[in-house]
Amino acid sequence: MREFWRRFRRNRGALAGLVILVLIILLAAFAPLLYPGSPWEMATAPFVPPGEEGMLLGSDSLGRDVAAGIAHGARISLMVGAVSTIAALSIGVTLGAVAGYLGGVVDDAVMRFTEFFQTIPSFVFAVLLVAIFTPTIGSVVFAIAVVSWPPVARVVRAEFLSLRSREFVQAAEVLGKSRIAIVLTDILPNALSPIVVLSSLMVASAILLESALSFLGLGDPNLMTWGFLIGAGRSVIRLAWWMSVFPGLAIFLTVLALNLVGEGLSDALNPRLARQRGGAT
Amino acid sequence: MSLSRRGFMAAAASAPVLMRASEALAQGIAPRRGGTLQMMLTPEPPVLQIGVNQQGPTLVAAPKMFQGLLTFSPALEPEPVLAKSWTISPDGREYVFALQEGVKWHDGQPFTAEDVVFSIMKFHMELAPRARAIFQLIETCEARDPLTVRMVLKQPFQPFLLMFDATAAAMVPKHLFDGRDYRTAPAVQRPVGTGPFRFVEWQRGNFIRLDRNEEYWKPGQPYLDSIIYRIIPDSQSRRLALESGQVLLSQTNDIEPFDIPALRQRPNLEVHTAGWEYFSPLSWIELNHRVKPLDDARVRRAMSMAIDRNFIVNRLWFGVGKPATNPVASTTRFHDPSARLPAFNVAEANRILDAAGYPRNAQGVRFTLKHMALPYGEIWTRLSEYLRQAMRNIGINFEMESTDAGSWARRVGNWEYETTINFVYQFGDPTLGVERTYVSTNIQRVTFTNTGGYANPQVDALFLRARTAAAAAERQAAFSEVQKLLIEEVPQIWLMELSFPTIHDRRVRNVITTGLGVHKSFDDVFIAG
Amino acid sequence: MEPSRLPGFLLRRGAKAAIVILAIVVCNFLLIHAAPGDPASVIAGQSGAADERFLAQLREQFGLDKPLHVQLWIYLKGVLTLDLGFSHRQQQPVWGLIAERLPATLLLTGAAFAFALAAGVTLGALAARRVGTWADSLITVVALTFYATPIFWVGLMLVLFFSVWLEWLPSFGMATVGVELTGVAAVLDVAKHLVLPAATLGLFYLAVYARLTRATMLEVADQDFVKTARAKGVPEGQVVRRHVLRNALLPVITFAGIQAGQLIGGSILVETVFAWPGIGRLAFDALLARDYAVLLGVFFCTSVMVVLFNLLTDLLYAVVDPRVEVEG
Repeated sequence: MREFWRRFRRNRGALAGLVILVLIILLAAFAPLLYPGSPWEMATAPFVPPGEEGMLLGSDSLGRDVAAGIAHGARISLMVGAVSTIAALSIGVTLGAVAGYLGGVVDDAVMRFTEFFQTIPSFVFAVLLVAIFTPTIGSVVFAIAVVSWPPVARVVRAEFLSLRSREFVQAAEVLGKSRIAIVLTDILPNALSPIVVLSSLMVASAILLESALSFLGLGDPNLMTWGFLIGAGRSVIRLAWWMSVFPGLAIFLTVLALNLVGEGLSDALNPRLARQRGGAT
Repeated sequence: MSLSRRGFMAAAASAPVLMRASEALAQGIAPRRGGTLQMMLTPEPPVLQIGVNQQGPTLVAAPKMFQGLLTFSPALEPEPVLAKSWTISPDGREYVFALQEGVKWHDGQPFTAEDVVFSIMKFHMELAPRARAIFQLIETCEARDPLTVRMVLKQPFQPFLLMFDATAAAMVPKHLFDGRDYRTAPAVQRPVGTGPFRFVEWQRGNFIRLDRNEEYWKPGQPYLDSIIYRIIPDSQSRRLALESGQVLLSQTNDIEPFDIPALRQRPNLEVHTAGWEYFSPLSWIELNHRVKPLDDARVRRAMSMAIDRNFIVNRLWFGVGKPATNPVASTTRFHDPSARLPAFNVAEANRILDAAGYPRNAQGVRFTLKHMALPYGEIWTRLSEYLRQAMRNIGINFEMESTDAGSWARRVGNWEYETTINFVYQFGDPTLGVERTYVSTNIQRVTFTNTGGYANPQVDALFLRARTAAAAAERQAAFSEVQKLLIEEVPQIWLMELSFPTIHDRRVRNVITTGLGVHKSFDDVFIAG
Repeated sequence: MEPSRLPGFLLRRGAKAAIVILAIVVCNFLLIHAAPGDPASVIAGQSGAADERFLAQLREQFGLDKPLHVQLWIYLKGVLTLDLGFSHRQQQPVWGLIAERLPATLLLTGAAFAFALAAGVTLGALAARRVGTWADSLITVVALTFYATPIFWVGLMLVLFFSVWLEWLPSFGMATVGVELTGVAAVLDVAKHLVLPAATLGLFYLAVYARLTRATMLEVADQDFVKTARAKGVPEGQVVRRHVLRNALLPVITFAGIQAGQLIGGSILVETVFAWPGIGRLAFDALLARDYAVLLGVFFCTSVMVVLFNLLTDLLYAVVDPRVEVEG
């Protein structure tokens, strides 16, 4: 554990990313204290520029505080990112493990199934799913999970395929351990490192996907998300540039931080690859 | 039964051509012949054949090619178009129209009374719900001679003439439609009408081109050489096209409301909000009375009182439009100005709800209602967001549901909603456009009917009396009473009398001259030098 | 792969591809019809007045009154003869609509792809060559930035900067409205309109290719056969080109192949922000209007493209690396 942290720390980018991420999580956690009430409340006149009338980042077309929207939006974005990633991981890890461990016909079937999902352009598919199930936070999370699991399945399958023929697994099989026990206690812990790295990136792409859906008007209308803020600001961009700029910066920082942390995790878990990648950057 | 001339009420036939020209002359400008008027059309319609399609853009472009028997002034007085004059019998059941002479279809065939009979009794009866509902009342429709049409109604129907504008029942050529499937006839793709402009070219996604009909029946008109409708899907592109002069006129949904103030500042542009008197679109919060507690009139009254309609008009619509005061718009006939909604009063609304037995819980919420925004543009989303805040002030939680055009129409049609927003045309007379929302006989599973399920026998009786009475005075009495009753009951929460601004270059004249605004033939429109 | 195995390979892959596409079409058909509402109710909701007979008439006109499996069968029969149906909303055959809008999307994604690939690989190679220097850090940070920002936001910021503030470039559409241009002037006009949307779409993929190229080049540069080449005295330039780059390109090609297929579908966002008249936007509008035929048609075309690109990628892979055994 200490070794892991030492290797992680050596990547300065990852460290910066971690700091940013922690700050955003804190912002999300303390949003109700910093900006009490609902971000939907009309606080002032519409289209107030940043810095005036107590509006740090300006107000939008209905006079709502953009800063409050960003703070409260952080909670939604992080939550959506986390939940949909967990869902995608559940599907992907299960399918990948089954395919990689059992091999043969099962592997073939699962791989065809995965290929099928990867042939449909993922964003269009997500849009279609959300439209069918009418846009709510649940359908958004579901749609993101459905289009995000294939890469997980592939990675997990690859890991399981290589680990399956290792001695300690064969030993466990000979000892008569049940297949499920082998998978859960022997193989999976050793396959964790690529999954961990992947999940950081998946949270990032889930946040991007959710913001894109909200931007197109397909988000949950009861939740003020960053994508929604940008979408609402799009048509009045000439009148109020701040409505589009600041929420975008928030998304950028969060996704950047997640990517940096992901690379740090990768370095920490695969030190040999880290050296090859040109060291800490 | 023969009806002598003396028994007829003669209708005054004014001469609109001379009137318009003299108006122009009064301004010191003689109409100038020539020029191409570039406009926009949003969104691109599927077809231009009126009747086959009744969506907004078709109603804007088609009247340049197709005409009705009449049109209507801003005060909704009938004016002659294809009908030169008309008479109505004293009992209000017989209408005789004398048609203009020398009118030809764009393909050269003469326009006759047979075309009128066909258009009304077959074409529109088959295709158009609005026309069908009224033309069912016609007992006899016959061509007395090639220039005279006689219609006898089963019972008197005072608003009958309002159905003869081009947008309600345009005249279509019998020889191109009779005996065929109206929707797939070749004429649908190459429209043939009697109007001042003829169809020339349609490049999908790009433009529609109409050229002057050289054989137009009004001498000297149309003044314009041609009309081009540009298809520009993006609202910012449209605004730019208008600002830069690439198009000279925008109408209906072309320009977003928040762009209006900037365009008003432009010295070369004029912004008109008139021209919607016939349609009089009225927006409201549509309530499903099958959902408790929306069946309680006190709740509805309180909700209505908690809405600041002035804020909606000024902040959301940037001053375009008027707050609604009445289920009948102020520009529709028989509007009773003495019947008004109570003023905006949040405290009073809260008192009503407290007294009605809807206490607030620990979070301050009395009850929750689902709300579907109208999926036809951002401004409606903003409206729903404002309404959510307004309802919070009286302890009602609006849970928003997102929909698109497909699901909205289906859910409203199938009564699968709690509240939503809607806006509906009134068509000049409450019997035509208002009654359908409130009478229990029109509860159907489709939009634009009484989908809310409101049923009040008193309201039904009043609307029936207003519908069947032959004299205007009697109808006014019934309408006044029903307006007062509906304001008590608030079956829908009326919000705004909408107006879709027409913005055009100052050089373009005679654009808004009737109660139909841009939905007219443009035969008297010209571009000054 | 030996040339003699090519026909068999293509045949097997072709058959697999056909099955995948068929499955996608059926799946999408069922999904789209599961969406609430249909084109009839959309049109009824926009016609100012309606009664139930009107709705029924529209349903009959669109063939929606038939049972679902019958509608599916009719559609599949059409697809097999490349008749993708008729859009009642646009009054045009679907194939015509797609053919009209496809070139715009291809132009956009082609330009973005070329830009991203060329610039990305160059920057990535540069960063790998100068690993550890400030140039490397700069390129990596820039790549990470474009990777992390949402595409639609990049587009909006570019519009804000280059169109609203600087007024150098147009912010929407593919050509100037109302002006009839021909020849070189027309090409230049489109090119001017292409800059921002192609840059927006390309910047994200540029970041991907830059990072990927850099990573694989570093990995390969460390390997034995490269060290051997250097030891044998092969000039550095040749080492980079012949050995390092060629091997590093394999993952890039794979990724490029996947992206090429995805680009068509992923252009919805850029086409929305820039009002670019392509099939991404066509599909989105069709979804909102429940124009089933158009939506299914677009899905069909994009699936075909993805499958084609996957095939091309595999072939290219086999060509570039003779050690690769491509399975049928």
